[in-house]
Amino acid sequence: MDSLDLEEMTTRIMQELQQRLGTTSEEKGTSQSRINDEFHQQEQLPSAVVESNESFTGPRHNRRNNIPQPRSAEMLEELQAATPARIGVWRAGTRPLTREMLLFRCDHAGAVDTVYGEVSDKLIEKFQLFQVETLYENTENYLKRPDMGRLLTDESIDRLRSGCQKRAQVQIVVSDGLSANAIEHNLSDVYPSLMDSLNAYGLKAGTPIFVKGGRVAVMDHIGEILEPDVLVMLIGERPGLVSSSSMSAYMCYRPRKGMVESARTVLSNIHQGGTPPVEGGAHIGTIVSKMLEQKTSGVKLVI
Amino acid sequence: MDEQWIISVGIDLGTSTMKLIVSRLKLARKSSPFGLPRFEIVERLLAYESEVTSTPLLSETEIDMAEVSMWLQKEYQAAGIRLSDIKTGAVIITGETANKGNAKQLLHSLADRAGDFVVATAGADLESLLAGKGSGAMKRSLQMRGVVCNVDVGGGTANTSFFRRGHMVETVTFHVGGRLIRLRPDGEVTYLSAAIRPWLDANGFKLQAGQTVSFGYLKEVARQMSRSMLDCLAGDTNSTGALLSVNGKVPIMPPVEELMVSGGVGGMLISANPRSLPETAVYGDFGPLLAACLREEARHYPFALAVPDYTFRATVIGAGMQSTEISGATIHISPGLLPMKNIPVLKLDNLEVKKAIELGLQVYDADACPPFALFIPQLQTVTYELIRQLSESLVAHYRTMIPGCRTLIVLCENDMGKALGQALKLRSSGELSIVCVDQIKVEFGDYLDLGEPIRDTMIPVIVKTLAFHSG
Repeated sequence: MDSLDLEEMTTRIMQELQQRLGTTSEEKGTSQSRINDEFHQQEQLPSAVVESNESFTGPRHNRRNNIPQPRSAEMLEELQAATPARIGVWRAGTRPLTREMLLFRCDHAGAVDTVYGEVSDKLIEKFQLFQVETLYENTENYLKRPDMGRLLTDESIDRLRSGCQKRAQVQIVVSDGLSANAIEHNLSDVYPSLMDSLNAYGLKAGTPIFVKGGRVAVMDHIGEILEPDVLVMLIGERPGLVSSSSMSAYMCYRPRKGMVESARTVLSNIHQGGTPPVEGGAHIGTIVSKMLEQKTSGVKLVI
Repeated sequence: MDEQWIISVGIDLGTSTMKLIVSRLKLARKSSPFGLPRFEIVERLLAYESEVTSTPLLSETEIDMAEVSMWLQKEYQAAGIRLSDIKTGAVIITGETANKGNAKQLLHSLADRAGDFVVATAGADLESLLAGKGSGAMKRSLQMRGVVCNVDVGGGTANTSFFRRGHMVETVTFHVGGRLIRLRPDGEVTYLSAAIRPWLDANGFKLQAGQTVSFGYLKEVARQMSRSMLDCLAGDTNSTGALLSVNGKVPIMPPVEELMVSGGVGGMLISANPRSLPETAVYGDFGPLLAACLREEARHYPFALAVPDYTFRATVIGAGMQSTEISGATIHISPGLLPMKNIPVLKLDNLEVKKAIELGLQVYDADACPPFALFIPQLQTVTYELIRQLSESLVAHYRTMIPGCRTLIVLCENDMGKALGQALKLRSSGELSIVCVDQIKVEFGDYLDLGEPIRDTMIPVIVKTLAFHSG
């Protein structure tokens, strides 16, 4: 929805530009006029993005056929369908087409915006997540000091101790990480599917937790406090140009302070265009059951 | 850990000969270690090829089953495999053999004796597809833009398949084959297939069994037969080749860029050059002459003649090496249900469960359990909400509409088999035994064979497409 608005906006800008410059078709314009397009464009873009006031949430796979006369349209389509990367976008002289440039900048802006997003209270309430936070203070500091995203505040430690089930078989932790969008978009598919899966394996989950300003290794701190057998951390990934709503599931058998990275198992790239969220949730259940069976995680785990 | 070999066999019981191959298929993980597991068949090795043996007949209309079973045992021994080693494979009855009195019975008894999960198949379209896969035409079509056509010319029929970018787009079968006209070295026609009579008449050939023909006359017949078929393949709708088409119709042919000729006649294509009746009748038929004429005539058509990987074993190699697919590796299987054979496919359109089950009970055996496998075609987005609704609706309708059956088979095109399977299990309170596999694409009317799980995570699947025909 948000992305559609941006796309519409881009189209409108293009039309306006074409009128002003008197070119009837983008494809037929000289490369000189396109270069002019772009200068105007770059001045106009930032304000337009601010107006939309919504963070951009997904890739805009521009499947418009920009190449004027492809040798094989079928093959081009096949190649484009095989990757979300910007291929077959054509050019004006040595530079990208204005529209492609705009779309690229939209995606980039989306990625930047995502880092500053927040997970809504509505979602946290929907899944009755127990909310705590790390020492991150604010987003600026969170970006500069990853170490502070790995430790909970003293108040949060106390609240965990008093309000959460200890030594659960499976402890679920959700965190915004670098993309609140990822949680907003995928949690409603991954979480219930994971619950079904745990249910099917006859496994019991403890109090589900939401950590604000979390880094992956905050699972060690939580593990230290609550001592679960397996901890599953669903966290927003660093946003990119293909997707800004991608989530990862980090899983660890008996996470404690000093855990090494190789002891964590990860299922990454969870979003509608990557690892399918619902199936991903079901598979996490399988991984968890194997961890409990084999009493290990990370590179030693045989899946 | 991330790779595994399985053994597959292919058995071809043809009009005049039978043969067998054993192949080894290598499964390897193709997905990233941080993604969902996905295995694919990455290598298909031909491990053993039997001799080509004459098909034992009790009479003109019956195949000697005991003899075939003994031959099978002997060949397995020679190949060094035991029945329990065989994970997948296919038996096919080709050409006119399929019309023999006990063919159907034989097919199933053979499938049972060949291994737990060796499936029985027959049908000209499937034969064409397997031959095209075995000859290498399908693979070749992936390397080019145009259409690759494979004609498998055997004893009785020419099974033709058209491939574009790795997919079969059309198929047709002609009454063109080496053993349609059998003769002695002196030119006496000992057998003439009734199937080509209309075509002979239309072309003014006066040929009868018992008659003695000259080399020149026979060559003219072979040349004209080649032309008629090639005309058809080149899209000439007025050609008398339509009279050779097995079902009397010729589909609209896609423009062919390359032509491959496999099968027994295909095997002689390069070398055959008979100059007399005795040289022609080395196998007691006009096959070598047909091969030579096909080669000569093909030069006058717009398509290039490509060399197949395999010729006279193309179909059996297709059956043994190329018929198996592997399901997704995140699926749900209730223990003890597999393998299952010959499950008809019912397609779920627009997620209308009730309507689909009603249709399924009408067209398939309603007393069978399970009566069909339900196929859910590609969905744009899969949300948990969708899985929840779908599983509830499936369980509710399956229970009330098919109360006698506790086994539910679901196939999904999307990667969602495990999620849906688990949801189905929970929603049915464990009452239904569920097989829910994914990343398999089938069509309404296909038949499926589902193999035993490999490493508890995936299953081999053979899709028997019987419905493929637009012609």
